[in-house]
Amino acid sequence: MKKQWYRLDNAALIFPAIIRKNWNNVFRVSATLKEPVDPDVLDRAIEELKPRFPTCFVRLRTGFFWYYLETIAKAPKAQQDYAYPLTHMTRRELKTCCVRFLYYENRIAVEVFHSVTDGTGGLILLQNLTARYLALKYGTQIPAEGNIVDVTEAPKAEETRDCFLSCGAKRAISRAEDTAYRLSGTPETDMFRHIITGILPADKLIEKAHEQGVTVTAYLAAVLAEAVAEKQKAEGRTGRKARPVKITIPVNLRRTFGMKTMRNFTLAVNIGFDPRLGEYTHEEICALMGHLLAAETIPQRMAGRVAKNVDLQNVLLLRLIPLPIKRICMRTVYTLSGENKGCLNISNMGVVTVPEPMAPMVERFEFIIGVQYTYPNNCSVVTYGGKTYISMIRGIRETELERLFFARLVELGIPVEIESN
Amino acid sequence: MYCVYCGVKLQEGAKECPLCHTPVAIAQAPGSEEKTLYSDRLPDKENRHGITLVVWLLTTVIIAVCLGCLIFCLRTRGEAAWSGYVLMSAGLVWMLLLFPLLFRRYRPMIFLPVSFACLAAFLLYICVKNGENWFLPFAFPVTGIACVLTLIGVAIFRYIRQGRLRLLGLYLVLIGASFMLIEFFQHITFGTPMWVWSLYCVCGFGALGLFLFIATLIPPLHAHLRKTFFI
Repeated sequence: MKKQWYRLDNAALIFPAIIRKNWNNVFRVSATLKEPVDPDVLDRAIEELKPRFPTCFVRLRTGFFWYYLETIAKAPKAQQDYAYPLTHMTRRELKTCCVRFLYYENRIAVEVFHSVTDGTGGLILLQNLTARYLALKYGTQIPAEGNIVDVTEAPKAEETRDCFLSCGAKRAISRAEDTAYRLSGTPETDMFRHIITGILPADKLIEKAHEQGVTVTAYLAAVLAEAVAEKQKAEGRTGRKARPVKITIPVNLRRTFGMKTMRNFTLAVNIGFDPRLGEYTHEEICALMGHLLAAETIPQRMAGRVAKNVDLQNVLLLRLIPLPIKRICMRTVYTLSGENKGCLNISNMGVVTVPEPMAPMVERFEFIIGVQYTYPNNCSVVTYGGKTYISMIRGIRETELERLFFARLVELGIPVEIESN
Repeated sequence: MYCVYCGVKLQEGAKECPLCHTPVAIAQAPGSEEKTLYSDRLPDKENRHGITLVVWLLTTVIIAVCLGCLIFCLRTRGEAAWSGYVLMSAGLVWMLLLFPLLFRRYRPMIFLPVSFACLAAFLLYICVKNGENWFLPFAFPVTGIACVLTLIGVAIFRYIRQGRLRLLGLYLVLIGASFMLIEFFQHITFGTPMWVWSLYCVCGFGALGLFLFIATLIPPLHAHLRKTFFI
């Protein structure tokens, strides 16, 4: 089969340039089944899925001016899961395949390098892999509906294109904003990642969010911001010493612009409050986060932000700079301003649904984003089967932020069940 | 089973709360052990054999070239005339570029002083070889100044998180002032006139440094600069 290659999409450009010896940008989606996973059947399912998702079965290659993705000849084999999620994906691994398929007991997990796709793309891949696995293992007939596609079909053109290039506004919006408070702690040895998952009843969470007149994402971002502010206060950073508390929320642009792609198509917005301006009540923080999120994510503003990123990519002079120099520049810019505009991410995948014949066989879905290079905590959310799974990952020893966040949810009347690795 | 401190429900068989580490006081039912969510497989350690092999291969090539030069020089000139420079240069290049690659982490506060010490040794060799005496009054202090300035720069950009702009301003002033010192050493060693070129450097670096320092003291100017020069 002829090798195909793809330019990196606009959001993906930065990720290969900022890879460190012990860190890169990877996320994970997993599905827990009712019965143990058979690795041989999983391997067959991966092989069958490969032609349908060409942009996912790729490896990272280096060009003279840009990095690019090249399809791989052979589908990777599923491997046993590690002792913790999101173990470091080395450069050598990325040059072989940018996606990792893992299994452990009842769970199938997919870990994806962010240049390949975003969380939604990863989830679509996982859902299709799970559907294919169940079809092969139990002979279940799963209809091609929702995110499930017909694997015998050829991939659609819209799935492989870079949608950023077609939705930018005519005028770009500035990205200048205040530097946020930086979370810190004692780094864990050997890059170990701790994960604490809080399981909440989705209906209760929605009810509480609606009581405040905001979406679930805004509500959780508000509670998280409260926890971050509390932590900052506990560190003695009050008054003029305090820094703005901001939460980074990746927004799925597929819904905003009505496009379907398997490449990256999300844009992050930073919303929060400045503790130097005074004390805030829970209701005020919820209202503020709700309004800010709604205002920032209107299509016009999103298009303006996309335009800013795309404009930079289109500057001829920048394009003509050889990759090694471009890489140094991108790393420098990222180090100086890439991660200091928010305290941590909260990425909400929303409600995951599967076709009816599949539902009794799948117990839960999980979504975990890796920690950033400088900030040690991150949070991701997914809802399935009436339960919301909030995964908080950290690369440090201290559990203060997680304690403040989950204890606050309990205090607000939402029962939380905790799991950890 | 709930944590008495946080109020969260814990996993069956949990010995402590993962959030606050409060021990679970209730006696566990026999056979109820904490469910392991992940396997015990650990990622492979980073394979550095490739880098180490390349370093030693290059080292072998350098040694071979140096030995070849030394033998050729000894046979044609009867002494290590020009080959001495080749040997010392190769040693310097090895210490500067290849030696740090043998270690897992690049620690600038250790490797940079070692690099500057090697540079000083190289200059000392040139000075002694040519029978001159500019090393102690000029090359040694100038290398020392360069080393100290580099270490300060690394400390500012790598280890200090707060008030970086203010420190950068002071650092630029310091760089400017060090040029005066260098010209002073040049003056006492080579007898060149004073204040020929260093004043330009002092003015340039000093003005920029003071501007940055003052900018941090005036919040509106600081904010304006951040907005204007935002990358």
